[in-house]
Parts: sequence; structure tokens; C-alpha cells
Amino acid sequence: MKSTLWLALSLISSFLYAQDASEIIKKVDQKMRGNSSSSNMTMKIVRPDWSREISMKGWSLGTDFSLILITAPARDQGTAFLKRDKELWNWQPTIDRVVKLPPSMMTQSWMGSDFTNDDLVKESSIVNDYNHFIRGDTTITARDAWKIELIPKEGAPVVWGRILIYVSKADYIELLIKYYDEDEFLINTMILSDIREMGGRVIPARMDMIPAENPEYRTVIHYNDIQFDIGISEDFFSIQKMKRIR
Amino acid sequence: MMFKLAWRNIWRNKRRTIITIVSIAFAVILSSLMRSMQLGSYERMIDNSVRFYTGYIQIHKLGYWDEQVLDNAFYPPKGLQEQIESLDGVEAAVPRLESFALASFKTRSRGAMVIGIDPEKESHLTGVEHKITEGSKVGLNDPRVLMGSGLADYLNMKVGDTLVLISQGYHGVNAAGKYEVAGLVEFGLPQLTNQVVFMPLPAAQYFYGAEGLLTAMAVVTDQPKDVDDVREEILGDLDTTAYEVMGWKTMMPELIQGIEIDNISGIIMLLLLYLVIGFGMFGTFLMMTKERLYEFGVMLSVGMHRSRLQLLIFSEIVLLAILAVLAGFALSLPVINYFSRNPISLPEEYKTAFEKFDIEPIYAFSNEPIVFTSQAWVVFFMALVLSAYPLYKIWKIDPVTAMREGR
Repeated sequence: MKSTLWLALSLISSFLYAQDASEIIKKVDQKMRGNSSSSNMTMKIVRPDWSREISMKGWSLGTDFSLILITAPARDQGTAFLKRDKELWNWQPTIDRVVKLPPSMMTQSWMGSDFTNDDLVKESSIVNDYNHFIRGDTTITARDAWKIELIPKEGAPVVWGRILIYVSKADYIELLIKYYDEDEFLINTMILSDIREMGGRVIPARMDMIPAENPEYRTVIHYNDIQFDIGISEDFFSIQKMKRIR
Repeated sequence: MMFKLAWRNIWRNKRRTIITIVSIAFAVILSSLMRSMQLGSYERMIDNSVRFYTGYIQIHKLGYWDEQVLDNAFYPPKGLQEQIESLDGVEAAVPRLESFALASFKTRSRGAMVIGIDPEKESHLTGVEHKITEGSKVGLNDPRVLMGSGLADYLNMKVGDTLVLISQGYHGVNAAGKYEVAGLVEFGLPQLTNQVVFMPLPAAQYFYGAEGLLTAMAVVTDQPKDVDDVREEILGDLDTTAYEVMGWKTMMPELIQGIEIDNISGIIMLLLLYLVIGFGMFGTFLMMTKERLYEFGVMLSVGMHRSRLQLLIFSEIVLLAILAVLAGFALSLPVINYFSRNPISLPEEYKTAFEKFDIEPIYAFSNEPIVFTSQAWVVFFMALVLSAYPLYKIWKIDPVTAMREGR
């Protein structure tokens, strides 16, 4: 009798906790993404003996639509990536071709960075494709934070076996994300920093992606400016638009 | 005196002498033709591969050979090309930037090896402009390409069509471009014809986002045998902590191994040939000894020392062998020379079979001096060994029976 009660209680509490964690993740996702947004970013690929910078503009609507336009260096200017739902399209102005990236290319590096094409497409599903659990409290860069574990739902089309997200309690900002594969090996670490107000929200302006395999490699994305709720519709995210946009 | 006697003896029976000379000379011709064909094929194989793939010597960034990726390209130090070309025994230094790309035309695509070349320098190495079967050559600042005819066939392309290339460039940059096909090229090695795209160096450097970079500087030497000396010289001038200088033997070990294996079977065939030739020569010596048995008997009876007689016969055989080998040279030289200039091209029906093995369907001949000298030595030596029979016979014969039997 007593044990049954305990079981019930612990079930309820874990259920409550889980609900709570999901709420947190939802807020985090909303915060970073907004309903729609447009931004100006610089991506820096850092290697032990060289580094390279790419400037780009990005637009997004909800979790399903986004468009990225490369603005520099000159040789890549005009190249665009369009994400519609789970599909990724690439426009190469130098060869006048639109290429739908095949599943086989999803695990390949995006623009030579530490991000994969898959990261561009799947990154958004942290809310719907995972079960969320709070795994304790920590302090990261002098901020109180929840440690939240994400376990993929059964049958969810995700590549990770487990994700750990450290979320700042004060403002629902991700501070550190660790990606693990199905065998519990750490694959990537993302550090979010330079937290400041942009486009009316307090968000991290800098993201560092570090592959566990090569700790001296990293890709840094820096937001130069960002606007939220800019009032664009799904029509904006079309292949025709991708070809024309400047 | 002995020499004079031997010389006169040889020409006493002209027919016998000529038969012997012809049999030895024929041996020399046969074995040198066979060896010449073998060595010639190897030379051709080496030349084909070396001239296409690598050049006799290559300079890379240290570590490029183990990991042949674009990220291991290097900025050639200023004046490197002139400096190398000024070395003794160097014909040319040929810059290269090579990597792989997806070649595409309309709905077809295939992996291709895209090689950035300096068309003018390249004529010292691959001689691309002489391999053009259709269309025209490209200039250094041309944005057009030459492609292997096999690749063009696969993609259903003609001269003047626009080839689309997609790849990942230096440091992972996005590489994509459209290029008009200026001409089609065909190489002896079908593997190349099926996958190669030649692009002028500046265009290739832009395509791969590798401005000013090379993956290799290939060095063409005046003579293949100069390779080691030239390599040493280059090593002396370069910073070896940043660059590696490799000879073709290091770069293409599988070619060397393939040749070694083939060479062994070639040598076995050659030994069999020697055996046949040896018996032929032995036959003529046997005949000579038998024919002259009476003469030997008389000589011994009149008091000639056996060892003197042996020496006389030995000198005769040496003289014969020298004459025969020289005759063999005289006859095989023009034949081999002719074939080394005009290799035997195989008829069409064999070509496809050869091409499956990536071998050029040609029998080439070598006119390296070693071909002749080695055969001459072997045949000469064989003649000496075989002379043991008449010498032994002289040692053993009894003058009386010899005179009776010989009659």
C-alpha cells in the first residue's frame, strides 16, 4: 500500500517535472525564434591553421520555413538555402541550378562548417520530437541554470540519442547544449554567449559549435542584428524567391 | 700465330662457319627482340603513367601524398618554377592543382578529376594539346575546359556544350561553375580518358577557391635516369620541413610491383628461349667437332700438344661468337629501331580487352643499349660454356681412333 503510494507520487512528480521541462523548452524555442524573424549573421569557421568568414542574411517563419542568403565572400554571393518543412533546397547562381539536397548529403558539412545540412533542417524539432526532463540545477557563466535532458520520442526522425540543454532560469536562454549520439558519445557542444538585447529581446548573439572529435575546430555564428515578427508569409519561402532575393 | 691460325681455320670451311654464325646471331636477334619488347612495354607503361599522373618528380606540401586533399595545397614560394627549371637535367616544372568534382550535363552526372594546368607548361608533361581529338586547345586565361572523350561520351556532350562542375573547394568552400568545353582529349590510359577534365590553372584556382595555390609542382627531367640526381638537387634548395619531393618510384609503387612481377615471368620465358638457343648452338659445335675429328687426330699425331689444340679451338669459338654477336647486333638494331619508332598497334578487336585492364593496346619496343648488351653477353657466355664440349673431346680423343672414325 505504502509502496504503491510512493510509486504514484513519484510518477506524478516526474510527470509534473516533465511538463515543466517541456514548458521551459517551448519558451526557449519561442524566444530565439519568435513567430517570424530576419537577421544578419556572420559565420566564422575556425581551424588550427586557418579561418574563414561567411556573411549571410536569414529569414524564418515558425519552425518550418527558413531562407539563408550568402552575401560574402564575393564568390559565394547570391547562393541561397531554402528550408521548407523537412526539405532543403540550394540555389547556386554560378551554375543556374536549384538543387534539392538528397538525404545522402544531409550528414555532410554545411558550407565547410561544423554544422551539417541536417542541423539546418532538424534543429527546430526540439519541442515536438523529444521528451524533456529536468536533471538538476547548475550555474553557468554566473547564471543559474536548469539542466534539461531531451530524449527523442519513439519513431521521431532525429539524429541524436540525447541532448543536454542548460537553460538560464532568469531569462529562458540556452547557455550550453551538448549533443550525444545513440551510443552516449558526445558529438557536438554548442556554447551560447554574448547575451544582449537585440530586436527587442534578450538573446545570445554568439553561438560556438565545437565538434567533440576535433576540440580545436569550431564554427562561430554571430548575429549582427535581428528583427522579430516582421510580418512575412509562407509565400516568401519559395524557390522563385530564393533565386531572386538579394 | 695462334690467332692467325684460328682465323684461317674459321674461314677454311665457310659453310660451317656461316651456319654457326647464323645460329648464334639468330639467338641474339630473337632474345634481344623479346627483351626489347618487354622493356619497351615497361618504359611505355611508366612513361604513360608518369607523364600523366605524376611527372617524374613532384613537389608537394609535406604530407600531401599521404592525404591527397585540396586542403593540403601550398603557395609556391616566389620563383620556385624558374629556380627548378634552371637546374641541370630539368626540362620543365609543371604546376598542377587537382581535385575531384561532380561533372554534370543535363540529367547525367559523374565523378571527374579536375586538373588545373598551365597549358604551355603542360605540353612538356602530358602534351595535352597533342591528345586533342576534337575541338581546340585552351589558353592559360581561357575559362574553357578540355575533357576526356570517355567522360564526354558518358555525359552525351559535344565540343561547345557547357559542363557544370560541383565540388567542395579549398577549406570547404562551395565550388560550382559552368565551363564551355573547348575540346576533347584522349589518352593511352582509358581510366584517364573516362574521368579527366583539364582546366586552365587560374580558372581552376578560382573554382576551388584556392587562389595562388597548387597541389603539386611536377618536374619533367630530360632523362628518366636523371630523376634521383635532380631530386637531390631540389631537396637541397627546398625547406624540407614544409615540402616533400618525391620520385615516381615512391609515388607509384604499384606500378613498380606490377612491372617486377611481369618481369619475372618475362625472365622465365627468356631463360626458356636461351635453353632452346643453347641447344641450337650446341648442335653446331657438336657438328664441328665431329667433322674435324680426323683433323684433330692428325694434329695430335704430328705432335701438337693437346692444350695448344684446345687453345686453338677455343680461340676459334671466341672469334666465331664475337662475329656472330656483332652480326646479331647489325641485324636486330634496324628492326628494333624501326619498331621503337613505330610501335605495333593491336587490331581493333583486341583493343577493348586491353582497355579493360587499363593497358594501352600497343606493343612498344625499347632501344636502350642494355637490351643489346645483356643479350650479347649472355649469348657470348653461352658460347664459351658450350665450347667445353669440343675442348673435352680433344682432351679425351685417341689420335688413331679419331683418324679412323673421322674419315
